[in-house]
Amino acid sequence: MRSLLLAVLAAYLIAAIHSILAFINKRLALQRVAQWSIGVGFVLHTGVLIDEWAVDGHYPLFSLRETLSFLAWALVAVYGVVVYRYRAQAVGAFTMPLISVLTFSAMVINSDPNTSPAAFGATWLFPIHTTILIFAYAAFSIVFMASVMYLLQERELKHKTFSGIFHRLPALSTINEIATTAAAIGLTLLTLGIVTGMIWSWSRNGRLWHNDPKEIFAVLTWVLYFILAVYRSTASWRGRRAAWLGVLGFVLVLCTFFGAPLLGGYHVFGVVLI
Amino acid sequence: MSILLIGVNHKTAPVEIRERLAFDDATCAAGLRTLVDGEIVREGLIVSTCNRVEVLSATSSDQLEFGAGRVTQFLDTSGQLPSGFLNDHLYRHTNEEAVRHLFRVASSLDSMVVGEPQVLGQVRHAYSLAVEAGTAGRVINKLVHHTFRVAKRVRSETGIAASAVSISYMAVELGKKIFSSLQGSTVMLIGAGEMAELSAKHLVNAGASRVLIANRTESAAQAIADQIGADASTVPFDRLQESLHEADLVICSTGAPNYVVTEEQTRKARERRRNRPTCLIDISVPRNIDPAAGKVPNVFLFDIDDLENVISSNIREREREAERAELIVQSEVMQFQQKLRLMDAGPTIGAMREKMQEVARAELARQRKRLGLLTPEQEAAIESLLISTVNKISHPIMNQMRRLYESDAVSPQGVEGDDLED
Repeated sequence: MRSLLLAVLAAYLIAAIHSILAFINKRLALQRVAQWSIGVGFVLHTGVLIDEWAVDGHYPLFSLRETLSFLAWALVAVYGVVVYRYRAQAVGAFTMPLISVLTFSAMVINSDPNTSPAAFGATWLFPIHTTILIFAYAAFSIVFMASVMYLLQERELKHKTFSGIFHRLPALSTINEIATTAAAIGLTLLTLGIVTGMIWSWSRNGRLWHNDPKEIFAVLTWVLYFILAVYRSTASWRGRRAAWLGVLGFVLVLCTFFGAPLLGGYHVFGVVLI
Repeated sequence: MSILLIGVNHKTAPVEIRERLAFDDATCAAGLRTLVDGEIVREGLIVSTCNRVEVLSATSSDQLEFGAGRVTQFLDTSGQLPSGFLNDHLYRHTNEEAVRHLFRVASSLDSMVVGEPQVLGQVRHAYSLAVEAGTAGRVINKLVHHTFRVAKRVRSETGIAASAVSISYMAVELGKKIFSSLQGSTVMLIGAGEMAELSAKHLVNAGASRVLIANRTESAAQAIADQIGADASTVPFDRLQESLHEADLVICSTGAPNYVVTEEQTRKARERRRNRPTCLIDISVPRNIDPAAGKVPNVFLFDIDDLENVISSNIREREREAERAELIVQSEVMQFQQKLRLMDAGPTIGAMREKMQEVARAELARQRKRLGLLTPEQEAAIESLLISTVNKISHPIMNQMRRLYESDAVSPQGVEGDDLED
């Protein structure tokens, strides 16, 4: 299983390097290598997750290691959708390195949760809650990447520097659309994730809210993306400011993701992050 | 068979010479028929554009020098130039060099503006003329089809033609970097200059669905509107701010000494556009759009210097890409050489003959014991008997094969052959 994950990491690394080279060099052949290795990596990764599920006997999204691995997998899936829908391969140069880092962390971290997942996994709602949130985080990561790309491209256009980046990055409106769509999907998933979490918690101990850092950050994140969505739809905020909000939102996402084990609280089950 | 390419281009000959050598369709066909005699020059093709006149021909390998002489003489006569006049201007490439040169020409690496797309079409046209004249044989067919393949590879695998290198096309490129697609966009021309008109045409070709034209003299605006066609309409010059917000792209090129579009107007237009981005292009000197307009969020303003900068950056980009294209050409030249060797009948026939002789010798060795003691003379006689029998039997077959290969003026695969598609 370990060695299979190593193969996954290798595939993602190859994809990351080739995506970056393709971004710098714009070579079709490089892009093709990147695409293929992403495909191979994704298939193997899916295999790893299924294998873990079968061997460990619980849904492979519980410990820190599993969470990172699952997040990397979800990001690859979301990236695939972005490339298919917008032909914006340039996103790969930004996303694949992050995916590789996540996979690498999943490999080196050896966390055995003190708490048995059986206690939580008993109800079917828990895996749904965590899966939805992982995909929400993946969508927000895409918003972040697109926002950074937007800011870079906008800068090129405003300052008229027209370096290589200008030729490689997609058009402003394409990046804007990726960010808007991903933010809308992320917000929907985050809402569903919070609601399923509340229901699960209610069914477990009759409480909806525990006032722990993760919950608070999650709600803050939700508010921020909600503001972003509202402003975007009324069109008074578009472009640069929306992009900066996308970057800020990602900082909150990171706080939500890593905040729990650092600040403690209800969501700390062993080393559980979700 | 040897490949020979002789010609002049914009680097080796001034236009006075190139125009004298140039062929039109009729003279090209007639010229090919006189040039290709089937003896020395077996096949021929003439590429004639405003930047080059080149004669590509195939001759048998031992008659390469005669062939070159014939082609040079042919160019002298058709250009009505004294013999030897062209010596300083002609370049001459043979075999591998000729193949490389043709690949580079068709891939637009040898063009005045590297990456310009017309030259491939011109080579294609030259080929169809040669096919019609019946002077494109086995070698030229193979070579030209391979050339199309190389040009296509260069186009798709490098960015050699990806970026604009003319002011009029810049508007399209910048527009695409902001709006991704110009489909359905609205363009406004302020001023009815030639450059603005050309840009507008490019934009309409790229999908712009509406063109608004504002000019101080309305008749000039109307003239351009008529030129562009149904999607164009005029806007009164003094009321242009009323329709400014409708335009995604504005191209300004009036002769006015002051700002025609102010920051204030841009701000108002942006509000009415609900923050949708706008691309302002000011190609007039002195500038007609207030530079401060470029500071408005979601408004992107480019003046003539900015455009020149992008163009020189694009040219550098093309040059970088051209280096990669050269590598593709290099590897394709090698591939084609290999193809050519396979096509040559000589080695194949030689190999077959050797194989047969080998069989005869092996048979002799196998049966040798049964013959008992023989003197060396007797042994040599038996061997030569066997070999000459094999040779005599195979001779007509080999001859037939050679004739097939040589005369194989392969029915041309058609100009739109398989190599062009896929």
